[in-house]
Amino acid sequence: MDSFLAATALVFTWDVMLIVLSASVFGLFMGAIPGLTATMATALLVPVTFFMEPLPAIAAIVSATAMAIVAGDLPGALLRMPGTPASAVYTDEAYLMGKQGKIGVALGLNIVCSMLGGIIGVVCLAMLAPLIADFAIKFTSDEYFWLALLGLSCAILVSGGDRLKGVISMLAGLAISMVGMDSVSGQARFTMGSYDLLAGISILPVLIGLFAISELIRRMPESHNPQQEIQTRVKKPFAGVGPLLWKYKFGVARGGVLGTLIGALPGAGADIASWISYAIARKFSRSPEKFGTGHPEGLISASSANNASLSGAYIPALVFGIPGDAITAIIIGVLMTKGITPGPDVFVSEAPLVNAILLVFIIANLLLLPLGFLAIKGARHILSIPSGVLFPLILIFCMVGAFAANNTMFDVWIMLAFGLLGYVMAENDFPVGPLILAVILGPIIESNFMRSIIKANGDLTAFVDRPIAITLAVAAALIWGMIMVNGIASNRTKNKLSFNH
Amino acid sequence: MRSNDKITGLVTVTFGVLVITNSRGLANLPQQDYGAGTFPMVIGGLLIAFGGLLTLRGLRSSAPLMVWVNDVPIKRFYLTLLAIIAAIVAYILLVPVVGFPIVSTVLLSLLLYGFYRQNWTLAACTAVASTAVIWVVFGRLLQVPLELGILEKVVY
Repeated sequence: MDSFLAATALVFTWDVMLIVLSASVFGLFMGAIPGLTATMATALLVPVTFFMEPLPAIAAIVSATAMAIVAGDLPGALLRMPGTPASAVYTDEAYLMGKQGKIGVALGLNIVCSMLGGIIGVVCLAMLAPLIADFAIKFTSDEYFWLALLGLSCAILVSGGDRLKGVISMLAGLAISMVGMDSVSGQARFTMGSYDLLAGISILPVLIGLFAISELIRRMPESHNPQQEIQTRVKKPFAGVGPLLWKYKFGVARGGVLGTLIGALPGAGADIASWISYAIARKFSRSPEKFGTGHPEGLISASSANNASLSGAYIPALVFGIPGDAITAIIIGVLMTKGITPGPDVFVSEAPLVNAILLVFIIANLLLLPLGFLAIKGARHILSIPSGVLFPLILIFCMVGAFAANNTMFDVWIMLAFGLLGYVMAENDFPVGPLILAVILGPIIESNFMRSIIKANGDLTAFVDRPIAITLAVAAALIWGMIMVNGIASNRTKNKLSFNH
Repeated sequence: MRSNDKITGLVTVTFGVLVITNSRGLANLPQQDYGAGTFPMVIGGLLIAFGGLLTLRGLRSSAPLMVWVNDVPIKRFYLTLLAIIAAIVAYILLVPVVGFPIVSTVLLSLLLYGFYRQNWTLAACTAVASTAVIWVVFGRLLQVPLELGILEKVVY
């Protein structure tokens, strides 16, 4: 109770509230513009959060991402263009509802279900995280090694697409993470004599490059295309939402719980949560034939799942210090710069902060209702901002942001290099998720591996001589088995296709 | 620009070779068979193995070496890419000399005019206003040391 009161005292201050509100408005804007994602919003927000206390910094990221996911539904429903990948699965459904004169209901459902999904996610996070933390307190470097490896393997499995390219992407990320001074022996590796590389490659310019610059390279050539006009007028949002919510209440609950669990898997973000939730809603529906014709059932489940997944991703991030997605990878980075190392101890040593983060989640999700309403009303204006104006402004913001992390122009070079790499990877179907997680998890895997091997005097069997370690090792082996089977199967299909071609 | 798997596979193999070559000289920990080079050697080896698999897959496919699969004309893409790279390189090289306010205003004016295709006055006004906002937020509020450059003599 004391820790809860301390948390409320931390959260209900003018500066935190103002930051939550401003970040939500920023997220709304970023999510509503097609092509700008919640991850990009976070990457652009980090240079600002570097200068904040831990709670306001996390509050800003939590609020911006929750709002960006919801705002991504606006262009989907109004223009048939998903604002973020998380809205893509039900874009047609919402757009077709609009064509049937139910645009207010579609957008109202998007916002209310996102809010409910987010709240379900926070409840799951509040219940599960301390339980897992109690268990994780017994972990040694052996378990942390397997856990980080499991996280990476999971990221390849769920990243979708070509598994072989997923593995290569992960290996490239691990190689990048080794640049700089080795944490155990202190030897300089792959620095090519550069003093700037001694401390390793800073994560912020990597994120801005991979998520913002590569997207600008892809989108800016299209900025000459004429802006699409919004044809549909939104009247009475939220009217008729209540009865539909009651009718599909199990869909909301299922989407929320499923979204949280999927979000907790490393590499699986809001987009995967919403795709899987939509598919499951269709499978269990009494009227699956109506899906894809402007039917609200799938939209309800998927909207609830994508926001819940944001909370789910915080479970491994807070409990193990292992990021569930790029956004929580950034959060871990922010916490570490503030001297807080996420892990099971954080639930005891920083209990008020953990409770304050949960409170911020609830506030950010409740704010979705009024801000979502305003966003619907102002959608016409937000969506009319020409991309030819927006993209150059984002480009300058990226350069200043990359510089701001360490106040060095070297980071702007890094941003450019990773922007080009991100573009080439996306064009050739290499998933970016495993690379970014590997850059974050690489030092964790290597330092725990080295610690265990030194402790065991070079005996590799020491990695599997504890029950939890062997369980995690078996799980990692199973996932690698699945990756291989999946890779061979997709290879055969590709070969058949190219033969028939 | 989409490449055949044999090109991306060969790039991966080359990367793996570079990782191994650069980690061979790293010393092991005292009285241990492991050290700073262990992990990079493993990663380099795996990059060569998986890069090799990708190359083999590319050799078996009939896909062209390079193909442009986009609705946007390739010329426009190259021009945009060049503009983005030039803007970033100009920012890195010119800000320490000329200063952030001037470089940002000029770059933004050029980019806004180039991409939005409205008049110069509108582009310049937007550029000045945006630079001022970034200067206030980052330079003043967040204390990021954005260089004033030649304006320093004018201001102080």
